[in-house]
Amino acid sequence: MSLRHLALAAVCAVAFSAAAFADTTVTMLHVSEDKNAQALWDQIAKDYEAAHPGVKVEVKYLENEAFKAKLPTMLQADESRPSLFYSWGGGVMEAQAKAGFLKDVSADVAGVEANMAPTAVDAIKVDGKAVGVPFDQGVVSFFYNKKLFEKAGVKAAEIKSWDDLLAAVKKLKAAGITPISVGAGEKWPMHFYYSYLVMRIGGEHALADAKAGKDAGFKSATFVEAGKRLRELAALEPFQAGYLTTKHAESTGIFGDGKAAMELMGEWFIGMQAPSSASGKGQPEEDIGIFSFPIVQGGKGKATDTLGGVNGFLVTKTAPKEAVDFLNFFSQEKYAKEAAEKGAYIPAYKGSDAWVKDPLVKQVAAELAATTYHQNFFDQDLGPSVGRVINDVSVAVAAGQTTPEAAAAAIQDAWDQQ
Amino acid sequence: MAVDRVALASAPAGERVDASLETAFANAPAVYVATRRRMSMNGWATLLVFLPPALLLFTIFVALPMVEAGWYSFFNWNGFGRPEKFIGLKNYVWVSTNPAFTRALINNGLIIVASLLVQLPLALGVALLIAGRMTGAVWFRMIFFLPYILADVAAGLIWRFMLDGKIGLPAIVTSLLGLQPFYLLGSTDWAFTAVLIVILWKYFGFHMMLYIAGLQGIEREMLEAAEMDGAKPFQRFWHITLPLLGPMIRLSIFFSVVGALQLFDIIVPLTGGGPFDTTHTMVSFLYYFGITRMRVGFGSAVGVVLFVICVTFAFGYRRLFMRDD
Amino acid sequence: MTDVVHDHRPSGRRMRGLAAIAAFAALLVLAVAVLLPIGLTALNGFKALGELQTHPFTLPRVWIWNNYWDILTSLRYWQVLGNSLLIAALTVFLTLAVSSMAAFTFAHLRFFGDRFLLSYMMLGLLFPVATAILPLFIKIRDLGLLDSYWGIVLPQVAFSLAMSILLLRVAFKQLPTELLDAAMMDGCGYFRYFFFITLPLSGPVLSTVAIISFVGSWNGYLLPLVVLNSESRYPWTLGLMAYQGQYTTSWQLVLAFITLTILPAILIFLLAQRYIVAGLTAGAVKA
Repeated sequence: MSLRHLALAAVCAVAFSAAAFADTTVTMLHVSEDKNAQALWDQIAKDYEAAHPGVKVEVKYLENEAFKAKLPTMLQADESRPSLFYSWGGGVMEAQAKAGFLKDVSADVAGVEANMAPTAVDAIKVDGKAVGVPFDQGVVSFFYNKKLFEKAGVKAAEIKSWDDLLAAVKKLKAAGITPISVGAGEKWPMHFYYSYLVMRIGGEHALADAKAGKDAGFKSATFVEAGKRLRELAALEPFQAGYLTTKHAESTGIFGDGKAAMELMGEWFIGMQAPSSASGKGQPEEDIGIFSFPIVQGGKGKATDTLGGVNGFLVTKTAPKEAVDFLNFFSQEKYAKEAAEKGAYIPAYKGSDAWVKDPLVKQVAAELAATTYHQNFFDQDLGPSVGRVINDVSVAVAAGQTTPEAAAAAIQDAWDQQ
Repeated sequence: MAVDRVALASAPAGERVDASLETAFANAPAVYVATRRRMSMNGWATLLVFLPPALLLFTIFVALPMVEAGWYSFFNWNGFGRPEKFIGLKNYVWVSTNPAFTRALINNGLIIVASLLVQLPLALGVALLIAGRMTGAVWFRMIFFLPYILADVAAGLIWRFMLDGKIGLPAIVTSLLGLQPFYLLGSTDWAFTAVLIVILWKYFGFHMMLYIAGLQGIEREMLEAAEMDGAKPFQRFWHITLPLLGPMIRLSIFFSVVGALQLFDIIVPLTGGGPFDTTHTMVSFLYYFGITRMRVGFGSAVGVVLFVICVTFAFGYRRLFMRDD
Repeated sequence: MTDVVHDHRPSGRRMRGLAAIAAFAALLVLAVAVLLPIGLTALNGFKALGELQTHPFTLPRVWIWNNYWDILTSLRYWQVLGNSLLIAALTVFLTLAVSSMAAFTFAHLRFFGDRFLLSYMMLGLLFPVATAILPLFIKIRDLGLLDSYWGIVLPQVAFSLAMSILLLRVAFKQLPTELLDAAMMDGCGYFRYFFFITLPLSGPVLSTVAIISFVGSWNGYLLPLVVLNSESRYPWTLGLMAYQGQYTTSWQLVLAFITLTILPAILIFLLAQRYIVAGLTAGAVKA
């Protein structure tokens, strides 16, 4: 062979051998987050690639609504299906599992999960099988402005029962302070009230029983009573003016500007109230306190039952085995610690509240760590269709547009139509 | 070819082509000309080259998906995997018994009425003013067309701020009158009126452009001749301009109604269908109650209902008003 | 040819005196009302988020030039703009080509099923795109067009065919028949007639179809979202997502970004402006 042929053969040989050691690509789809968080994850991806040559890790981000809109189509096509994707658990995750898109990774992730909070681990299981790994947990609590409370003569430590809360609201109103800010324009902030009331009145089995159809399902006394209590609160007119059109971010900004005394919100509230405020500065953290959602006298729920998100990453059925490997790598304690120190979220690890540096987040994490029962957001747990109905009726009941009975019936109808 | 050019120039524009036909026919019957002729070899060759691309693209990307989407309407399906739960006409029952859908239907009707009574006359009025040679006419045309170009996400956002009860226009009005702030977009009685105003703002420029085109097609000589004959401006408008604009107005109404029925993009960022489902259109209802709730079959059922309404309108309208098109 | 082709010069005499001033004033008021939201979009791009949410009508207390400057100097802005432009240009070109050919056949040729086929294509106007997105996605995937520009361009062209053919067909029909007859008698076939007579004389209406098609493609969001996976191919509507976090959105950056993306659309509009108005003339008057 001539020199030219040799050279060509050499090039081909190299090319083909490179193909033989072809990179496996692990794609991870995530919801857009703030720059710091994204930078951390990109770093983790790089670390993994360095430790495992021949594997490429691509982390992609999509905005919330875009993520939800695109995921069904992405899962349909092999070439676009990510190996791992972010999930809020609940009904959507179950639907994805039922359609056969998820992989049972119970054996593979057992090691990592041994150190994670059991409530979190259970949330990322379908039919008892792990389909991914939990990432973080959250809690919805009442955040309050200490100075405004003082001004009205309200003591947060004394708000133990629902009636105490109503009394506090009245005192705040008498002092000319808007008691509560809520972003009812987006509906889901209001459903936190309804959800907690159901939990406090019906106890930890309330939702599961309703789903199973026990005792009239969602039309049970628990749900109707919850609606009545919500209406009771709303009738006192505790919310900011125009609350029906206020968006979530605006609402946190209202609190941040010191124009409202309380907001019932998840832990991400802490990072939001400052940038969303008109002044840009928000309330200083030492002026913000938290207290758990009060119990309802005569109800079965405990004050230590918590409502909050459990988020994780799920593994798709066609993911390469490197994907699960990466997932375990990603979930290492050291990264979770780093993220906890930097960000305003609580990793799913046992004792993670100790890692959290931010004092306010720490308080929230401690609340979570002491939980007796942790419930995922109702609108996640019940799936997208029933979830939206719960959001809708929460606002409708609060605004007096519908009766608690009709609201409960609407939820039941949506559940039946699934 | 002996064609009477004088007759051409002075005949009303709408019938010009026919006039030439008749004249040509009268003068030279052996040279009867038809706009569409019997097919020659050349004709067939043209047909087989020119038509297939359009037909192919349309069938693959529009017709087939449409039919499949219609097929989904008989299933209870969340969009994952393949549709499995066949439920016959249940989706249609659920659609028709959903009060939000009935409201959406009424809303669509109101949009059509508002378009016909307010938007189109406004567009026509403005077009009359700036079709001519007034100062800055070109700039005005661009300004009025601009809302159509602006993406809905921005338009919805800005209008949400503008209509806000605390910091928007209603706030300015209420503070001037010394009243309590009024939350326009949160009011079940008035939110939809606000939505209508935004729709008006967004689309009247498009129709204005159609009318300007129509107006500019009217022969100057005709209007000048009429003026010289002593016709007043209103008479000129009523007897010459308006009839000549007829075809353009009919087309504009057609686009307007069909567009109104398909309206969706502006509702999402503006009100999201709220408050309490009073500002939905049929397509926004489809989006919120079908797609985002992962009830694909339900959404398809709404789509099919909408399609049937549109088709009924389209064919009825063409038969009644656009027979020569 | 001049007395056969329409006189496109604006008709109507210059209004005189008081009427003219009153008309101008009315138009000015209307123009301000129409421009206000758009001006606010641009203006609010200079504010901080908090100020935007509480004082959207006032001039910025602090003019944050960086909002705009950071976007203009970012690679991503030009990348998404380029993608949008490429997709829109392909869409426009293909739409014009395919629909003008089809419109020509519907305008001049009479054959079995022509009315039926025309009605068939009109149906495209009557079905909401949002419903058909799943089956459409599957088609695109089966054709191997996922994550490609063509996966967006081809469906966009298909969906705009109905309106384009409607407008163009009417335009072609109203070109004087003497031209066609003369051409036929001279031995010119349909092909040559199409390329050398119909198209050149229809510049205006073709531009109209072009601008409508362009704006539709430029603002397209749902189709690119489900078709594209590579961020490097994102049009500006998807590029917007970078400003939206899980719980908050930097609305001031969104507005600044949108202001900067509307400029190219305005430019195209002004370019086509010469033909647009006159274009719709030829298109629809002689219905």
